[in-house]
Amino acid sequence: MSVAGSQSNLAGASALEATVCGGPVLVRPAGGHVGGRTTSPKPAWLRVQGREGVLFIAGVILLWQLVSAVIPFSGHYLFPSPVLTARTLWVSLPELLVGTGYSFLILAPSLALAITLGVIWGMLVGTAPALNRMFSPFARFVSPVPPTIYIPYAIVLLPTFRSAAGFVVFIGVFWPVFLNTCSGAATLPRHYRDNARILGLRRGEYLRRVVFPATLPQIFAGISIGLVFAFIMLTVAEQFGASNGIGRFVQLYADYADYPRMVAGILYTGVVVWISMEVLECIKKRALFWLK
Amino acid sequence: MSVAEVNEVEAAQAGQGLEVSSVSFAYDGAPVLQEVDLRIAPSEFVCLLGPSGSGKSTLLRLLAGLELPDAGLISSNDEAIRGPSLERGVVFQNYSLFPWLTLAQNIQLALKKAHPQSSESWRRQHIARHLQRVGLAEVADQHPSLLSGGMQQRGAIARMLALGSPILLMDEPFGALDPVNRAKLQDLVLEIWAATRKTVVFVTHDVEEALYLADRVVMLGSSPGRIIQEITVPFARPRSRRLFKSHEFTELCERIDGYFREEMLQRIEAGIEAGIEVLPAGRA
Repeated sequence: MSVAGSQSNLAGASALEATVCGGPVLVRPAGGHVGGRTTSPKPAWLRVQGREGVLFIAGVILLWQLVSAVIPFSGHYLFPSPVLTARTLWVSLPELLVGTGYSFLILAPSLALAITLGVIWGMLVGTAPALNRMFSPFARFVSPVPPTIYIPYAIVLLPTFRSAAGFVVFIGVFWPVFLNTCSGAATLPRHYRDNARILGLRRGEYLRRVVFPATLPQIFAGISIGLVFAFIMLTVAEQFGASNGIGRFVQLYADYADYPRMVAGILYTGVVVWISMEVLECIKKRALFWLK
Repeated sequence: MSVAEVNEVEAAQAGQGLEVSSVSFAYDGAPVLQEVDLRIAPSEFVCLLGPSGSGKSTLLRLLAGLELPDAGLISSNDEAIRGPSLERGVVFQNYSLFPWLTLAQNIQLALKKAHPQSSESWRRQHIARHLQRVGLAEVADQHPSLLSGGMQQRGAIARMLALGSPILLMDEPFGALDPVNRAKLQDLVLEIWAATRKTVVFVTHDVEEALYLADRVVMLGSSPGRIIQEITVPFARPRSRRLFKSHEFTELCERIDGYFREEMLQRIEAGIEAGIEVLPAGRA
């Protein structure tokens, strides 16, 4: 297999690690990470994306084309050229779109439930010392378990594939959202609490009107890690036992040794994850407009 | 309630006294305040003046009810202070307003807490009134991060007034402002005080600011914080900024500086702590 295939996998993995490794940093007090992201000067960013970024991607595609032309025995079969991959992607698009629909049917409810529960429970645990003492030991023990490890058991244990995949996506999203929300709420700057007390806010009002907005930067940091995890969990789960979905698409054509379709599926997955992250970034920028 | 009626109610609420009796307070085992006694009369304007580390902000937090004393008693109208209450509005040095709410929403939150039964239109009317009073009517729908430091402090004052508290506590509210804005806001505070006769406790490390504003200046020394001197300010009201040029004013400033210098010398000689920062000129 394929230099380009493993390259793109490597690139995917390192991007992932970067995001995941960003996690522990965010767990520490109030997020410089988010500030850095939202305040980066736009013209410079555009320049980089506009020139260097595009040039680099063009270079990678060129190299891919050259390598696929040079490899003698595989031809377009094992190591499809970019042109062939693009054509295959175009042809497979209807099937991929339907697969995406199935994937999102599992992803969306689990994501919504995990974010809702993670945020609410994180705010409660972060602001109530007694709850914190009760839940923290359990969280420290359970949260580091790599969620993919649950997949085979979840598939056996739960009645349908949908419920099993939904469950592991939930686990993958819940912990990063919960941990980030909790640490954000626990390390809330003192002046927010002082002002809430001066105004005589009751606990519910305090959580809703002060803790929630003040913790939003950390909540979004948790959600972006969670979103990446959600896609990992979903595609891995689909490779185990789905009848539909993006992960299933890649696994199916790998089994049939239809590598052009498989590579097209991988590329397509990258695009879907990228678009999802961009949408999240837009929502975050809107929600955190007040952050200077 | 109409605007005029509210003004009357405010006037009726004016002036609650505060009493601090032998209060000590330690933070993480380090004594911050020791045996502090202070009586503040209704409608009095008192400035707490002292260097960093003298516990003046801590004393204000105790008066607000944000901290509770380790020993001694703090009371208002013969009632012990056991926590924050709408009886005492507070303005901090910065960050008094919630940055995710507009100025109007910040005021609205205070009004809702102070007048839970009030109607939407009543609140709108009073948001406008309070913002008008501090000169921010034009920027009601802005978020605090878009406003200058001086405007943010005006907003914080408006929010404090919206609570309708008879006691106003201000913790170095103009410490981070440029001289022109600081002067304007000092005059705004004096104007509000003259109109409402609320009791004001104002923390500062600026001697001139204290003498310009207060009826009485309470000087605190450090390590641990305690009251070293109280001075009744002799200047007639209303005061003008020409006061700063008068011989009596500069003489009193000198005298206050002298007290702090003497206090520092004594401590250095006693070998308690050398090189402590006393009224840093750059920050005053």
